[in-house]
Amino acid sequence: MSSSTDTAPAPAAAAPEKPGAGMLRRLVETPEVGVVVACVVVFTALAIDKSTFASAVNLQGMGFDLAQYGLIAIGESLVILTGGIDLSVGALLGTSVILASWFNVKAGLPAGVAIIFTLAICGTVGLIHGLAVTRLKMPPFVTTLVTYTVAQGVTLAITSGTSIPGISGFFGDIGQSYLAQIPVPLVLFAIVAVAAWFFLERTYQGRQVYAVGGNAEAARLAGIRGDRRVVSMYVTSSLLSGLGGMLVLGRMGVGSASGVGVGWELSAIAAAVIGGVSLMGGQGRIMGIVAGAVLLELINNGLTTLQINSNYTQIVLGAVLGIAITADRLRARRLAKRR
Amino acid sequence: MAAVEARTGGDTAARAVVSLRGVSKSYGPVKVLDIPELELTSGQIVGVVGENGAGKSTLMGVLSGTVTASTGSILIDGQELHSGRPDHAQGLGVSLVAQEFPLVGQLSVAENLLLGRRPASSEGRRFGGWRFDRAGTRAEARALLADVGVEGVDVDRPVERLPVPVRQMIEIAKAWGHHPKVLILDEPTSSLGPVEADKVLSLARRHAEGGGAVLFIGHRLDEVRALADRVIVLRGGRLVADLTPEQASEERLIREMVGSELAKADVSPPPSVEREVVLRTEGLTADGLGPVDLEVRAGEILGVAGLMGSGRSRLLHTVMGAQPRTGGTVEFKGEPFFPKHPADSVAAGIGLVPEDRKEQSLVLGASVRWNITLATLRRISRRGVLTPRADREHAGRLVKELGVRLHSAEQPVGDLSGGNQQKVVFGRWLAAEPRLLLLDEPTRGVDVGAKAEIYGLIDEAAKEGLAVVAASSELEELLWICHRIVVMANGRVVADIPRERFSKELIMTAAAGTQGTQSPEAQAAAKEAIV
Repeated sequence: MSSSTDTAPAPAAAAPEKPGAGMLRRLVETPEVGVVVACVVVFTALAIDKSTFASAVNLQGMGFDLAQYGLIAIGESLVILTGGIDLSVGALLGTSVILASWFNVKAGLPAGVAIIFTLAICGTVGLIHGLAVTRLKMPPFVTTLVTYTVAQGVTLAITSGTSIPGISGFFGDIGQSYLAQIPVPLVLFAIVAVAAWFFLERTYQGRQVYAVGGNAEAARLAGIRGDRRVVSMYVTSSLLSGLGGMLVLGRMGVGSASGVGVGWELSAIAAAVIGGVSLMGGQGRIMGIVAGAVLLELINNGLTTLQINSNYTQIVLGAVLGIAITADRLRARRLAKRR
Repeated sequence: MAAVEARTGGDTAARAVVSLRGVSKSYGPVKVLDIPELELTSGQIVGVVGENGAGKSTLMGVLSGTVTASTGSILIDGQELHSGRPDHAQGLGVSLVAQEFPLVGQLSVAENLLLGRRPASSEGRRFGGWRFDRAGTRAEARALLADVGVEGVDVDRPVERLPVPVRQMIEIAKAWGHHPKVLILDEPTSSLGPVEADKVLSLARRHAEGGGAVLFIGHRLDEVRALADRVIVLRGGRLVADLTPEQASEERLIREMVGSELAKADVSPPPSVEREVVLRTEGLTADGLGPVDLEVRAGEILGVAGLMGSGRSRLLHTVMGAQPRTGGTVEFKGEPFFPKHPADSVAAGIGLVPEDRKEQSLVLGASVRWNITLATLRRISRRGVLTPRADREHAGRLVKELGVRLHSAEQPVGDLSGGNQQKVVFGRWLAAEPRLLLLDEPTRGVDVGAKAEIYGLIDEAAKEGLAVVAASSELEELLWICHRIVVMANGRVVADIPRERFSKELIMTAAAGTQGTQSPEAQAAAKEAIV
């Protein structure tokens, strides 16, 4: 493959690429392809090894899980694209579970109103994150670390470690039901993913998000109000955490925060990185993020299906993350070398 | 290759400090450097010229060990250099001042200057081998800065808080501090004003007189010609000419560089008909700027000259709204104009091509298409939605119109040469169809061919009624393209010179006029210029 760089006295305009070779090359150069292939391979291998893995019941179970993790992975990625990071997504999800059930049960509000209140609180938290990062120039890591801590505290303060039973059946209707055999949360996740894809790839504001993450000063001098884009991404991330919380609450049927949320931000970050999102900002696509979340879920569930001691799960997931990052570096280096 | 007589004194015999034998470098099938034989003798300044991508930087990289040569051997003072090992090259006495300054932004000036070595004073101290000697480091840093002629820099300040030209001087001082045998300067003056550039050039002369060898890469041909004892020209990775200063006329050099005669694009004279005023500032002030009164008319190319730190960039950034204004009024298209964010200016019809392409203009990892459409995203979208086809067509059209040389509009913009990157930035703004275009160092780090093309673009746009304000440290550039030049010093406009009275001397005296040492003649010249 000849790399006709600009050094060669090339023809003045771009030479049209040969469709066949170009397609194949672009496919190889697309970072998302590796993850998608990995998903297919892992799924096929597990399905062949254990017939129960590909059973409808197990697939549906994975669908529920995927929706929970996937929603916050998308929110997390939107923030990472701007060059920031949101450590609060998991803890905020846990808090929103408790808030919604508290509004619904203790305050006696109807489910719909409870959800709106909870999402409003989450949105406000995101707004504070965004303003702190853009106006006060606070490092995103620290800003969201504060929320990470406070949100866990709020959860504990409300529940004192107990759970809140007796929530409205409406939560179960979204969190547990199926639409033509497909779990409703999975459908919601798909809608959010498509919306995020449309925003990033098809709107000028989405393109500006990439520009801000790639080079904030260049974006500013090109007349892009980067701060607005950054703030809106933090708000979206927190809202998606809240939405994830509603789904978790519906699935559990009781307002409990034990084992919910905290630590999930790491899975979200892992899904983003595995899917090709650069932690430096400005690089990554929804397709990869979704594939990253799917891969994590496949491995997670696969290990359970294979009846591997759950104590080893973390090691395997960590190793996958390590492989993903290494592969990404090697690919980037090979591309850089060829130029 | 004709050996050229070095400028050497009678007693110090010229000896080869550096000799290259059959050195080449290939990336895949593309040979970017191929030098069968080259010797650099002591006491000689060798100028290296060539277009972007001619192999100048690769040659420097091979010599300084940052690039591994594919074939051949390099001897430095008789010892063979392990190719691809910068530490070894440094140990043999090669110091490189690169275009991109590898300074540690958070560390102080003093710490940067002594990065990787210890001050001499730490020898005698107890545990001097591993204890950080703050006082010694500072003292040595001050001495070093004084030696290269930089004044008024606090050695305790973090480097990142200093302006680009000062950082460049620090980078040079850092290389100087290694007491090199071979000093490689890669376009050291491209970000400097005339006075600082002179300091660097005299430093190079001092080094050669002291028996060292200097390799000087330059874009400004007049500078190279004035400085070098020998000029070599690279084209397509090959050494195509090895000239004495007498042989190296500007025309000859350009001919060798581009491989054919280059017709300088003729710039049209300023519009004779009186056109409306696009921009008018009255008493404009900002941090380190003003008060500035200025008028720019449609179709006019106004140059802004001045030494480094004179407020050239600040003027542009303040008009753009990228730096807060502290006072004064601005009228744009006859109406009061007060931008709070560059976005306001873009919406009103102003574009800015900033000084630092990599930091301020481009998203390097993103594709050419994304970069070229950055300022017009809203315009090419329909109700906020971008269609891939419209996007691609828009970018494709711009690339073609501007003659950007590339492989595909999808390739990262960082892969292009400097000149082509700059064309992308211009394309971004010309597509936005502004009424006023602000240019800060429009051709910094751009090769001769692309320069002429960019001047053509500016001229073309001005003919169609665009008002242009171009700030530059290259006087030739301003003299060539501008209809009128204002000279700035200490944040103020000190002279306003129409094209028919253009002269380098007039601009230089005005620029230096209000600086500390004020000679009566200079003052008179500046006054005369203002009238």
